[in-house]
Amino acid sequence: MTKVADTLKRVVVGRPMSSGELQHTLLPKSIALPVFASDALSSMAYATQEVLLVLAIAGATALPFVFPIAGAVAVLLAIVIVSYRQIVRAYPGGGGAYVVAYENLGMYPGLTVAASLLIDYVLTVAVSITAGTDAIVSALPGLAEHKVVVTIGLIALVSLANLRGSKESGRLFAVPTYGFVLCMYALIVTGFIRCIGSCPQAESSGLPLEPEHALTAFLLLKAFAAGTTALTGVEAIAEGVPVFRFPQSKNAAATLGILGAISISLFLGVSWLADHTNVIYTEESHLTVMAQIGDAVFGGGVMFYVLQVLTALILVLAANTAYTGFPVLASILARDRIMPRQFVNRGDRLVYSNGIVILSVFASLLVYAFDANLNRLIQLYLLGVFLSFTLAQAGTVVRWRRTREPGWQKSATINAFGAVVTGIVMVVVLLTKFLEGAWIVVSALPVIIFMMRAIHGHYSEVRRELAHPERVPADRRPGNQHMVMLVQRVDAASARAVGYARSVRPASIVAITFDKVNAPTWARLAPEIPLQVLEQEGSRTNSIKTFLRRRREDLSSDDFLTFVVSEILRSRSTFEIVKGWRIQRTKASLRREVGVQVLDVPIVEDEIDPAVDQAREPARNYVSVLISGVNNASLQAMEFAETLRPTSLRGVHFGLDPEEAERIGDEWLDARVPHPLEIENSPFRDIGLSLINYIRSEFQPDGVNRVATVVIPEFIVRKRRHEVLHNQTALVVIKRRLLFEPGVVVVSVPFYL
Amino acid sequence: MARPPDELRAESLRVWAERLAGTIRLAEVEARRRAKVAGVIQNVRIDPREGRSFIEATIVDGSGSELVVRLTGRMSLAGWQLGEGLVVEGTVADRDGVLMMLNPEWDLVAGPEHG
Repeated sequence: MTKVADTLKRVVVGRPMSSGELQHTLLPKSIALPVFASDALSSMAYATQEVLLVLAIAGATALPFVFPIAGAVAVLLAIVIVSYRQIVRAYPGGGGAYVVAYENLGMYPGLTVAASLLIDYVLTVAVSITAGTDAIVSALPGLAEHKVVVTIGLIALVSLANLRGSKESGRLFAVPTYGFVLCMYALIVTGFIRCIGSCPQAESSGLPLEPEHALTAFLLLKAFAAGTTALTGVEAIAEGVPVFRFPQSKNAAATLGILGAISISLFLGVSWLADHTNVIYTEESHLTVMAQIGDAVFGGGVMFYVLQVLTALILVLAANTAYTGFPVLASILARDRIMPRQFVNRGDRLVYSNGIVILSVFASLLVYAFDANLNRLIQLYLLGVFLSFTLAQAGTVVRWRRTREPGWQKSATINAFGAVVTGIVMVVVLLTKFLEGAWIVVSALPVIIFMMRAIHGHYSEVRRELAHPERVPADRRPGNQHMVMLVQRVDAASARAVGYARSVRPASIVAITFDKVNAPTWARLAPEIPLQVLEQEGSRTNSIKTFLRRRREDLSSDDFLTFVVSEILRSRSTFEIVKGWRIQRTKASLRREVGVQVLDVPIVEDEIDPAVDQAREPARNYVSVLISGVNNASLQAMEFAETLRPTSLRGVHFGLDPEEAERIGDEWLDARVPHPLEIENSPFRDIGLSLINYIRSEFQPDGVNRVATVVIPEFIVRKRRHEVLHNQTALVVIKRRLLFEPGVVVVSVPFYL
Repeated sequence: MARPPDELRAESLRVWAERLAGTIRLAEVEARRRAKVAGVIQNVRIDPREGRSFIEATIVDGSGSELVVRLTGRMSLAGWQLGEGLVVEGTVADRDGVLMMLNPEWDLVAGPEHG
């Protein structure tokens, strides 16, 4: 590429950084503020509006209450900020509400917080993007009819950006966030100046507004609850302490203070302007409160559009924080074994994508179900926020009482007070919003908690079974190897399979076929291996299963029964696998057959050399067992591998997580497995690719003289629905890729839980 | 156009290794001489077999060469993790074209990807 293009890219994208560098870049306060505050500040775009909407029910005379209510919310915001400054001090590791509640209050409070945080992330996306659409629609009223489409389109856009792997970059956040804050201050200051004398009036100020309801204390509480929207997003800083520059806790606390000051002043300023410009906002309004105030204060013009654009941008950024927060939380939850383990490794692209897709799908469903109506969506939002505020603060109080650090009484008092206040607000939110939508969250929470509990139960059981000290490798002698070979045709592939089987020297071997015409050619190819012609009863797969079960009954439980399949792949495309569906289906259904290993000898057609494919025994058979943990499943696979009479035998672990890799290494040493283990790097987090590169460079298999066997231990869970919890799809992908690798034989060794 | 990731990684390794005082680059290492070198752990091998147990790591420093560091008789990895840095000092041996240090003095240091 040209120098100009290179320079352009540097300017747009910045200097190239390695991924490690990016992760460990610590943020100064000036960048950390926009990164974490976009969520909290974006709620300024709709908090005042939500208060006005409730007050409008009681008619025009109720509207001036907006400012005192904003004052009360500001006090609440101040309390929460002060309290969270203590949490930041207590958890310099960046606890987040879930960790705090789980550590100090126990499993169920932890699960409650986890569930409400997950719901919150979905709602953050739905609410922020819907509010962003509102800002766009206020500037371009023609789009009003297509709000749902625009909103879901925006969600798709944000998730696409995240699927491509865009990392949140501080400067990217800084411009719109600071721009939004400056624009808001410009709005408020201009508004104050123009209010000297008489205030400019909003477009809607003159509209008739009939009271539908008396101004009751309950209605005021409801308006207050609506205003507490301003608090959403405050917790983000407490979760992100580790990315701050040193001294981390101090900087994070300072940033929280700045965020609080900005939020409070913006909220009060906007609410004051709303009062004085006499904005009226009802369900029927097409323009947002911010748009109306902006129009009145700036008198339309450029600044009005700038305000709308920046508002939409910061709302999209707020949604984006959910896209970065969700995978982090999911990975913490998966590590604690309350979410599927596919979420553990954040860097694994497939996994990351899963989280993003799930988040987008749920957010889009909500937007669709609620017709992209911000005022209805927001009713669901606050309960989870205050639930996690309350439990996080209560958890921190428990922690202070336990650690008794110097000055703990003061901190504990602040947190306890905060917990009580947010607890009360939570009850208010629940009471005032239950019928409007909070009931959905109230009923979803126990369902999610129950599912997490069930997932945790399953993983704990699997762990117990895998760790059962049934296999002490050093003291065990593996059983014998018995083989059953499926002959579809007598061809180059079956010749290779015969050669392979000969090198293994199994205790017994029998070939089966459904076609009598194979018999004479088979007798020439492998006279020492008896060929049995099976009568087809039902499907071929069923006949094979029946045969294998009978064979299995005759063997001792230590013995291995291996089903050998050979196939010719006509081309190197994955489409080939679709064409060979029959054998694939047989292999897939045998996966669940107790006590049977499936060994696959594939050959790609253009590799066939009639001169050499004469069922010759390969001189070398290098066996590698894919290790993902030291447990009964992998040790059983090692024992199986021993029966293959390998030239060399080793375990191979591809370390996505260096700490886990070290632990596996130590466990391997502890277990005294009588074979070496190699811990290999997987730089692109693609185990299939790393494995293929490893096999090529270590063994140079050619399929004739040198064969590489890859043994893959697999868990087979009793209930099929539990398969979701074990990332077996990754194994399927790896196996599929290995099929096309010359000279590679793949064996699945199932372990039944 | 940005350079390929391998080249970028090699460069960040070189910058990292230069900073460790007293070490020479792996490309300058010669067999049968003492040397003090630094490198990042690329892969780890463990062999717990009775009588010959060892742990072994291949380290690289972006200079194009690699070195195998082997400790015999150990039954723990003691912090040897992929991506961590090792500073080793000992005599280099040539084993079938592979440079190797047997039981050198060694120290773990933060790898280039840890700030």
